[in-house]
Amino acid sequence: MVKGMGARPHRLGVEPLFQSSVDEVSRLVGLKKEELIILEDADRAASELLVSEFEKYVERKYNPEIMGVLKRNNLLGVPIMEEYGGRGARQLVEALFLERMGQTGMGVITFSDVHQCLGSLAVQDWGNEEQKARYLPAAAKGDTIFAYGLTEPEAGSDPASLKTSYVKDGGGYRLNGSKYLISNGSIATRMIIFARPQEGPGTPTAFILDTKDKGFSVDMRLEEKIGLFTSDTSMVSLDDAFVQSEDMLGQEGKGLAVAYSALLNGRIGIGSGCVGVMEDCLNQVKERATTRVQHGKEIARHQLIQRHVAYIESSLEACRWLIYRAALKKDEYEKDLKNLALRSESDRLSAVAKYTASRCAFGSADRAVQCFGGFGYSILSPVAKHFLDARVARIYEGTDEIMELKIASSVLGREFEAYR
Amino acid sequence: MNIHLDGSNAIHSPREKVYSLLTDPNFISKSLPDSEDVRVIDGSSLEARMKLRIAVVSTTMRMKLRVERTAPPSKATLVAEGAGSGSTLKITSVFDLSGDSQTTMAWSADAEVGGVMAGIGSSLLKGFAAKKVAEIFSGITKAVEASS
Ligand SMILES: Cc1cc2nc3c(=O)[nH]c(=O)nc-3n(C[C@H](O)[C@H](O)[C@H](O)COP(=O)(O)OP(=O)(O)OC[C@H]3O[C@@H](n4cnc5c(N)ncnc54)[C@H](O)[C@@H]3O)c2cc1C
Repeated sequence: MVKGMGARPHRLGVEPLFQSSVDEVSRLVGLKKEELIILEDADRAASELLVSEFEKYVERKYNPEIMGVLKRNNLLGVPIMEEYGGRGARQLVEALFLERMGQTGMGVITFSDVHQCLGSLAVQDWGNEEQKARYLPAAAKGDTIFAYGLTEPEAGSDPASLKTSYVKDGGGYRLNGSKYLISNGSIATRMIIFARPQEGPGTPTAFILDTKDKGFSVDMRLEEKIGLFTSDTSMVSLDDAFVQSEDMLGQEGKGLAVAYSALLNGRIGIGSGCVGVMEDCLNQVKERATTRVQHGKEIARHQLIQRHVAYIESSLEACRWLIYRAALKKDEYEKDLKNLALRSESDRLSAVAKYTASRCAFGSADRAVQCFGGFGYSILSPVAKHFLDARVARIYEGTDEIMELKIASSVLGREFEAYR
Repeated sequence: MNIHLDGSNAIHSPREKVYSLLTDPNFISKSLPDSEDVRVIDGSSLEARMKLRIAVVSTTMRMKLRVERTAPPSKATLVAEGAGSGSTLKITSVFDLSGDSQTTMAWSADAEVGGVMAGIGSSLLKGFAAKKVAEIFSGITKAVEASS
């Protein structure tokens, strides 16, 4: 145990539940000193972000402090290997890090998950040495911020139908098309773009695009969302945007493999954030229900309120271990990358974990709003933002329905894949 | 809902001087941030309408402040109590001064928050309070140093 992690008095109401996760994982799996330091840094960063996240949320504005606070606490390259300037965290530690950040809300999670799990890890897993050396140290320092451009106005759940195209031009490629609902879209310095050949039947390829290129433009920041205000979501256009040949990521035609493997990492990240949301809901409900008095007693003494508390607690416990199991399986696969059975198992578990945690987070936030009564319906309450934000986790990085199809076919066999 | 904060500040001014200013309602009346209608009532109490801002929402509270000179020139207590916009607030701040020509001011503040404001939750309120307290103490430190 790192000095201070257990002994320090709790500065904020949000800490004890996270502490219990760290202690339990430490006891069962073992966490190294450096890993505990990452979690201490996460704990500090989450506390530092509490006020600005609330303020920006109420103003319905993107929170630029997220990047600064994570940078100051050296948390922009948590899963990036140490040799590339990151902190070399295994998936289990990345999950715990995002669990803690999730208590501040899904806005922080969306930024981190996209930059680290969908962006940096895609480069780490698929990039060549030169690409890793060029992009990863900069991403860990925050000099490069990643976005992930898969979705298009007419291609969401079915990314294989994407229309953005590329064509060879001298020492690189020209990209044309439109990417929709892109997190970090207007703040990223590099965007992983998936595009198909302009001519012929070829399958998509992944590229690392410099967003300073004059062919790249942000059409609009999507600010009319029903929640997730502190996260940047944009629509971007590629109008003959130029990418150097050396910025093709992975092999030509293998773009969907890049996209899906990034989503495998991302789903564990989103699920971890959802666990943090449930932790915060439980903390907030506990505080409110034990102080709010109606009918002559604290509302926590009313059995129907206790039912909500029991739901949130059970959801939290179930999802926590589901996420850790998915993360541990991913770590196992990382050590044996040629093992395809392990990869499918990891893919299945990450889908199960994300599907379950996002639904439980939304359900828990709904119950938390209910326990807060009328004040819960105000975005000044600490739980309303979770209710609005957790909803998106059931849509992005694979909708509920797509997760259900994926999980079912993993049980029934590929011949039953319903989305084919 | 109760929240507790504590900390310490260094003030480049002699302890006796700091103590006498900190317990002087006239001095306090000039160093209260975001306040209007400040009225000194007697040698140990004052009243003010104070604006409290949380994100884009601001409320105004009618506050009564009372100084208790517990152990001059070391210890003093400032109790601020008020209500407004469906919320209640009572803050008890205890100051403990040490040093001679330079003063170290150790302080603690215990707030009892009730009504609508309490719904925001202790973790957030604490975050906002920490920001506000830092502002207040840097204001007090500057004012004391300027009048020394
Ligand atoms: C705030 C936000 C941030 C996002 N960030 C990113 C990002 O950074 N990068 C990125 O690339 N994308 C991002 N997305 C896009 C997101 O991944 C897509 O919205 C999601 O994949 C669903 O696609 P769609 O919106 O086109 O819905 P559609 O695919 O049109 O789906 C509509 C409905 O039909 C259902 N459906 C579709 N196909 C089937 C099927 N075969 N069987 C059963 N039901 C089906 C869906 O589940 C859904 O309920 C973001 C979305 C949001 C809201």
